[in-house]
Amino acid sequence: MLDNVSLGRYYPAHSFLHDTDPRVKTILYAVYLVAIFIIKEPVSIGVLAGIIILQLIMAKIRPGILWATVKPILPLAAFIFLINIFTIKQGYVLFSWKIFTITDYGLSRAAIMAIRLIFLIISTSILLTLTTTPLKMSDALEKLFAPLQIIRVPVHEMAMMMSIALRFIPTLAAETQKIMKAQQSRGADYDTGSFINKVKGYITVLIPLFVSSFRRADELAVAMDARCYRGGKGRTKLNPLKITLKDVLCGILFTLLAVLVVVIDLSLR
Amino acid sequence: MPENENRIEIKNVSFSYDIDDETSGKAPRLALDGISVTIEKGSYTAILGSNGSGKSTLAKIIDILEVPDSGKVVIFGKDASDDDLFWQIREHCCCVFQNPDNQIVGTMIEEDVAFGPENLGIPNPELRERVDQALKDVGLFEYRHKETMALSGGQKQKLAIAGALAMKPDILILDEATAMLDPSSRDDFLTLVEQMRVEKGLTLITITHDMTEALRCDKIVIVHKGKVALEGAPEEIFMSDDLWKYGLKRPVKFNFAFEIAKLTGSTLSKEDLKSNETLIASLVKMLTKPGLTMPENVVAEKKPVDESDIIMSVKGLSYTYGGGDTKAIDDINLDIRRGEVLGIVGESGCGKTTLISHMNAIIRPVEGDVIIHTKDGDLSCKNKKDTMKIRQNVGLVFQYPEYQLFEETVYKDIAYGLKKMNVSKEEQKTLILDAANKVGLTERELNSSPFELSGGQKRRAAMAGVLVMRPGILVLDEPASGLDPKGRQEMFAIIKGLRDSGTTIILVSHNMDEAAVNCDRICLIDNGKIKAVGMPAELFVKKRADELKVQLPRITRFSAVLRTELAEIYPDIEFKGNYFNPEKEAKVIVTAVCEAGDHNA
Repeated sequence: MLDNVSLGRYYPAHSFLHDTDPRVKTILYAVYLVAIFIIKEPVSIGVLAGIIILQLIMAKIRPGILWATVKPILPLAAFIFLINIFTIKQGYVLFSWKIFTITDYGLSRAAIMAIRLIFLIISTSILLTLTTTPLKMSDALEKLFAPLQIIRVPVHEMAMMMSIALRFIPTLAAETQKIMKAQQSRGADYDTGSFINKVKGYITVLIPLFVSSFRRADELAVAMDARCYRGGKGRTKLNPLKITLKDVLCGILFTLLAVLVVVIDLSLR
Repeated sequence: MPENENRIEIKNVSFSYDIDDETSGKAPRLALDGISVTIEKGSYTAILGSNGSGKSTLAKIIDILEVPDSGKVVIFGKDASDDDLFWQIREHCCCVFQNPDNQIVGTMIEEDVAFGPENLGIPNPELRERVDQALKDVGLFEYRHKETMALSGGQKQKLAIAGALAMKPDILILDEATAMLDPSSRDDFLTLVEQMRVEKGLTLITITHDMTEALRCDKIVIVHKGKVALEGAPEEIFMSDDLWKYGLKRPVKFNFAFEIAKLTGSTLSKEDLKSNETLIASLVKMLTKPGLTMPENVVAEKKPVDESDIIMSVKGLSYTYGGGDTKAIDDINLDIRRGEVLGIVGESGCGKTTLISHMNAIIRPVEGDVIIHTKDGDLSCKNKKDTMKIRQNVGLVFQYPEYQLFEETVYKDIAYGLKKMNVSKEEQKTLILDAANKVGLTERELNSSPFELSGGQKRRAAMAGVLVMRPGILVLDEPASGLDPKGRQEMFAIIKGLRDSGTTIILVSHNMDEAAVNCDRICLIDNGKIKAVGMPAELFVKKRADELKVQLPRITRFSAVLRTELAEIYPDIEFKGNYFNPEKEAKVIVTAVCEAGDHNA
């Protein structure tokens, strides 16, 4: 049941990337984000794919887990592919039927867009969600954005909220399933009927889910209060973030690789 | 004052939840009304009371999670109204709440345990030592790098204990912490907590609906309408005849003992209730005194069920959840007889919920099938076209059904299923009023928002939403969980009423005591397989239960001791039957003694 929800899910394992400092991973993620959106050439895409495979190995992520992460995004990737393929009219026409025209340029653009989206999801998973626990993630963001506290941005609170949100994804996913089953027993039908009917059907899930989220939030707040939570001030950490030489080298290596990919790409244009 | 340092003192405390609801014109609800309680350091206290009596609020006052409107709270000599002492008090008082999921902050087990001491600003390496020690204490150390969500309910509650122990508390409050656990994890959990209490010298306060659990304590405080109604040692409290007024009742063995006392014309004193040994000794004395009158015969009040009239057949049903390797249920074969109450009993995770989800095609059978035998022919759960008909015939009420309510009024919520079936407005009304009547909801409650009702009322409203479709078979998953003793009894009265009106009932439970009393037959499930099916009186005899490795109901365990003692006095004594209702079991015992006495004379 929970296997459907891989978004934001942590994958417990001992690997090089699991142990890498989350701040380094966050910065690397930003670097790769930029790289993914700059490159256009097949050669550089191939090199980037190679780097991603290297990272997958370093994170010890099994193909099954990777597939579960990528699968939900495939319809969107397909949609983007189709939109691009039929709307771009420049280039040499490969195929034409009534209003549908496919050009070589359109085909390559469409492929690049779809590949970018998939790369984006894989990078997010390897560098962040699958290899970093929500608490470490929020620690990293708290540290990276700490300078913003000078202009009164509640950095600690935002980081805490984020980690709680991630912690509750599986809980609420399970609850949604439970409520849907209960309403189906009362005759609710989420699969057939018109679009309007389906939307109406989801109200029977959303309202109880909202009510229960409020109740959970309330109970969690009391529990946190009872455990003496009073904001970030004076808190210590069981596993404080420590940057080691290994982290720095890993950061430099992968940044250089990203730069290399971009340079290859630009030089080929 | 030095003597205060060894006490928790609550003096004349009042507290109300401010409901910002001026439009409704309701006065704020007074949760605590001038309550005064004293709890000694190192003691083990149970706080009992009905749902909404104010007992959880009292716990929150002790941990100063709520600040009283008036009155004084002094914890071990520290005044809670003193802002400088506020955090000191809270540091040394920890709570474990009812819902395991809603008190876990960390994704990883050790992260969660560290949350409390991190808040206290404990530096490493002490922090690391505390976390490791706490995890070792509760037996979760080897799981420390696992995800919190991978734990079972019982393990999650142990994790909460570890999170508390890591803060080195003086006071530990359990706020219905065992309510969502099955009996074996419950025993496990309580044993652990009691061991910690001795090892760490904790003051332990437990809020519970389980009367037998309360017997383990040194002292019981009964809260009713925001005041202390009764206070004293368990043997004093359970002498009281007023418990029912407070939504409570005696533990089942005391009920049984009081029935015997009544039948033999004797009385019990609080000394008798002190331990099992004293209680058995005084019961034997009562039963062996001369001049006992024979009680009237125990009559079977339930209409017998026709064994050949099958309403539902489960045939060779197996199911594996996607991605899993082990079967959640494995080759289940079961015939359900028309008009019976069939109990499905087993521990959490044994496959009960998977099995019942097949019964109205919420999970469609993959291997094997479920056939519903109706007047208009057989319906197969495999057949997609029959889905709606099956769901009309088989009503399924999941655990905590109140969490599925969504309409503006209870009336509209109950009507939801009927609307889906295109029933006319007029007919809807008749059906709704009938369903409401069956579960005991008044017209006023029907017109109010489901979110305004109390917990017990909400549950009944949700049940009515299924009953309204007039299902011939009603499947109930733990219908009484989380209710106070009175609420539980009312729920079982509703179920009995439904049975009497001809509904076949499948009751899922992990409470052997209640299953034994309320079911015609019981199906024991273990690891996805049926271990045994039979009448409670057949299954719950010592020899059979030992073979099956199931725990006997509490009354049977207690009565067995008494039966053995009596058999030593009257070698040819013969007990006619084995009952789980204290009243009936008491009659059987007294009858047997009378007959044996006559025989000997």
